[in-house]
Amino acid sequence: MQMENKIAKEFRKFKPFDFYQTGTEKYYLLPFRFHQINSEKEVIVNEVGDFLIVPIGTARRIAEKEIEYEESLFIDLVTNFFISEKPIPDLIDVLATRYRTKKSFLDDFTALHIFVVSLRCNHSCHYCQVSRVSENRQDFDMSVENLKHAIEHMFRSPSAAVTMEFQGGEPLLAFEKIKFGVEYAKLLNKKYQKEITFVICTNATVFTQEIFDFCYYHEIRISTSLDGPEFLHNANRPKLGTKSYEMVIDGINTARAELGHDMVSALMTTTALSLNYPIEIIENYIENGFDHIFLRPISPYGFALKNQKKNHYHTRKYLDFYKKGLDYIIQLNKEGHFIVEDYTTIILKKILTPFPVSYVDLQSPAGIINNVVVYNYDGHVYASDESRMLAESGDFTFRIGHVKDDYKSLFYGEKARYFANFWSNESLAGCSDCGFQTYCGADPVFHHASQSDLEGYRPTSDFCLKNMEIIRHIFDLIDKEGKQVLSIFNSWVNNRPIIKAL
Amino acid sequence: MIIDKINSSTFQIRVNSRIYNIETLHKCFYWYSGKFSIDIASDNELAVITISDFPEELEFDDILTTIKKDLIDFKTRDIVAKETANIRTLLIAKAFANNDEFDEVPFGDINDPIGFDAKEF
Amino acid sequence: MIQLKTRGFAVNIPEKLLAIVLTDVQDNEIVCFSSSINLEIVLSTRIPTSSSTKCMVVGIPSLMHLSKGDIVLIDPNGTINTLFRKQSFHNSLFITDRCNSNCLMCSQPPKNFDDLDHHFKINTELISLLPKTIKELGITGGEPTLLGRRFITLLEQINLELPTTNIHILTNGRVFAWKNVVEKLQRVENKRTVYGIPLYSDYYQQHDYIVQVKGAFRQTILGFHNMARYGLRLELRIVLHLQSYKRLPSLSKYIYKNLPFVEHVAFMGLEHTGYAIKNNDILWIDPKEYADELEESIMFLDTMGLTVSIYNLQLCLLKPSLWKFARKSISDWKQKYLDECVNCALLSNCGGVFTTSKVHSNYIKAVTTIAGQIKE
Repeated sequence: MQMENKIAKEFRKFKPFDFYQTGTEKYYLLPFRFHQINSEKEVIVNEVGDFLIVPIGTARRIAEKEIEYEESLFIDLVTNFFISEKPIPDLIDVLATRYRTKKSFLDDFTALHIFVVSLRCNHSCHYCQVSRVSENRQDFDMSVENLKHAIEHMFRSPSAAVTMEFQGGEPLLAFEKIKFGVEYAKLLNKKYQKEITFVICTNATVFTQEIFDFCYYHEIRISTSLDGPEFLHNANRPKLGTKSYEMVIDGINTARAELGHDMVSALMTTTALSLNYPIEIIENYIENGFDHIFLRPISPYGFALKNQKKNHYHTRKYLDFYKKGLDYIIQLNKEGHFIVEDYTTIILKKILTPFPVSYVDLQSPAGIINNVVVYNYDGHVYASDESRMLAESGDFTFRIGHVKDDYKSLFYGEKARYFANFWSNESLAGCSDCGFQTYCGADPVFHHASQSDLEGYRPTSDFCLKNMEIIRHIFDLIDKEGKQVLSIFNSWVNNRPIIKAL
Repeated sequence: MIIDKINSSTFQIRVNSRIYNIETLHKCFYWYSGKFSIDIASDNELAVITISDFPEELEFDDILTTIKKDLIDFKTRDIVAKETANIRTLLIAKAFANNDEFDEVPFGDINDPIGFDAKEF
Repeated sequence: MIQLKTRGFAVNIPEKLLAIVLTDVQDNEIVCFSSSINLEIVLSTRIPTSSSTKCMVVGIPSLMHLSKGDIVLIDPNGTINTLFRKQSFHNSLFITDRCNSNCLMCSQPPKNFDDLDHHFKINTELISLLPKTIKELGITGGEPTLLGRRFITLLEQINLELPTTNIHILTNGRVFAWKNVVEKLQRVENKRTVYGIPLYSDYYQQHDYIVQVKGAFRQTILGFHNMARYGLRLELRIVLHLQSYKRLPSLSKYIYKNLPFVEHVAFMGLEHTGYAIKNNDILWIDPKEYADELEESIMFLDTMGLTVSIYNLQLCLLKPSLWKFARKSISDWKQKYLDECVNCALLSNCGGVFTTSKVHSNYIKAVTTIAGQIKE
């Protein structure tokens, strides 16, 4: 009894704060990287993408064990998993789970399946690398047999949700194939029970009532091309002259009326001319009822891919365009308009949330095969959309086989295993130490095409130049504008407009 | 650090190789290799970085300033990478383990003054 | 304030008995029924003049707190404890007064003798007497998980007897760091069970200090980690006081990044009773003084899509932006309003104060409406 009372007394006695310190003044490093973001600050980033913006030189002080226990930074470094008071941190399992979560998009494997049902097109946009044949040639449509094989591969993907995206040429010129494809997919899905999203990428000029009825019935989304204001959009389509813009706006509005406002989205194609008009393009999108815009860079695929100087020039001009555009969009948000820039949002999701973010062009392991696959009109299978564009100029590096090949040889075959050497930025030269690694990605296709090197040579890589500057700029904004811009960024990440307080 | 100008397009930088190891130097100068040619030679005491084909349009003094900063940064990265190599391996092993082989064992007291054992469950 | 305990003189009560109240108060009497002895028991405020073979408790000061459907525990010493109130939304099973933590602000300081058997026996019978239609049932203590294996038994019985009731378990969750425990809990049906677990800081030393146990933070976080793995539903509870308010925004970010699966985060005002009185110097801070930290923390979690509530704080102490998060959370039997609240425009939406609290904020005062606009 005496003993029990003693134990109870000691247990119930209140102890001071210092009693609960279990570490020593010495601390241990956890994995982190860093990068300067402006003239005064650098950002430190841990293994799962948590960040702290700190004065330049802090990373060095942390590494050299110069941070004092009394500094408020010390506690923040512990709670944010930059340092540990023990050689193996108490909560290492939590960190491991977070790492697994960040990469868990891999569990789904290929979720985006692109079906190029036809190369035929009724336009000839001067930047197009793909469709070169006129409307009437049936030789450039996908055969029913190949379409079936491709759809069967789609269902072999482990992903519980897949997107079936129809592209071309102008896919609606082969509407019968789309119809077959959708119906066959739905038939197979009775067994597989996947969640399927259907998308048709179209120039919005060949709609018929039959097409609308079919899309409405099967909840098919429309993705179309809108480059910006009339003069810009038309300048890119010289053969059609002044009618192009009118036609696409008409198509968008009709599609919205038939299918629902949110079932229609638009993507811009950027040209050298576009780069001079960021505000006008944004205004045009808002005018046309879009609250999301993707400020895309000029696609380097096709002509002049290997012209390094020209590409650098375009990339630098694009960065100007992007910053002006982003600035303007942020300003609009400050005034209460909910407008979202999509590329920034992808990066923000990686910075501000613990969740996995898979975006074909900016992930590690890269999106090729892991996220997307393309079934071409001739039955050949490619690792990505850009991979098939390269094939149009005779480069078949990223052709992984034919729809008649078995699933394993396509998705886990020799080529896939070869690409795997280059598709994780964790192990690429330059990337492995980069402070922005967790927010960026690998793009072996781009580097092969522009530098003849799947690994990529970072010092002259436009992919690197672009992404490093965008990510740095985002952190710079967070540093300089703080809470206000962060609440706008959070609203984009959650796709929820900020409701002003009473 | 000792800098020698050999001619208008060739410079040599000499650093203590015990402060800046060969990996740090390679990683640092990788980023400059698009601008000019670099040769790195290193022994136990000294590392010699020879810069040649230095372009006319660039100012060597400006580049030197960023090189100095980058050397410090890459040294920092090297320290972190070396100290955290094991933890990183452990993290990845835990993250992708298919069973609980890598789980930490719970720790500490769960008792009240009377006595309680988690194994009782 | 509602009474939960009273006492009279017991007549022919052989042992502790659970009884269901069959009638409302009529003519100073209430009739109950005990299924274990299969007899009616009369509760009366009167004192009978002659002897009787009936089972009774007489001379009770008041029976106004009891109504039909309530369940009481009648002791041979004449004590009558109300264990279940039909009209209340706040019924709980009480597991034990023991606890393996020693929180600085504990409103119900733990006791150091073993009462697990005593309460387990009562609860086992009580569960079988509860109406099948009750929507919510709490499980509380002390620390309920100290019941060990029988905790699982109790949950299994609840699943069987009360298949549609939502269960809310208040626990420190530390034992969930042991995977075998969570695994067993997962096998007992859990879709209607939520575990309300406190987390007071993102920094281990601060949390351990508040809880007064070394290693508590580590156990708690690992416990959450196991809960996520096995699909148990989690609600976080954060008590606001001098030791916890400063790092509140950091805690919010920590919760979002490391515990994004949490179903609900409750920010709770301090109940100034129990240990909180003894530790007043290191705990008391007027809620008005942490208004900024509270707003920043809650706005962040809300923007990121988490469900947030404020418990036990009065609307006049909160910034208007936070009013929509405040709930009327104080259990009816310990809730009241202050004199200054009488004319407050927000009275019907406000949860009031604890009857048990010895100290209230200096800033509690009525909010008046002027021309349709709420003005403080």
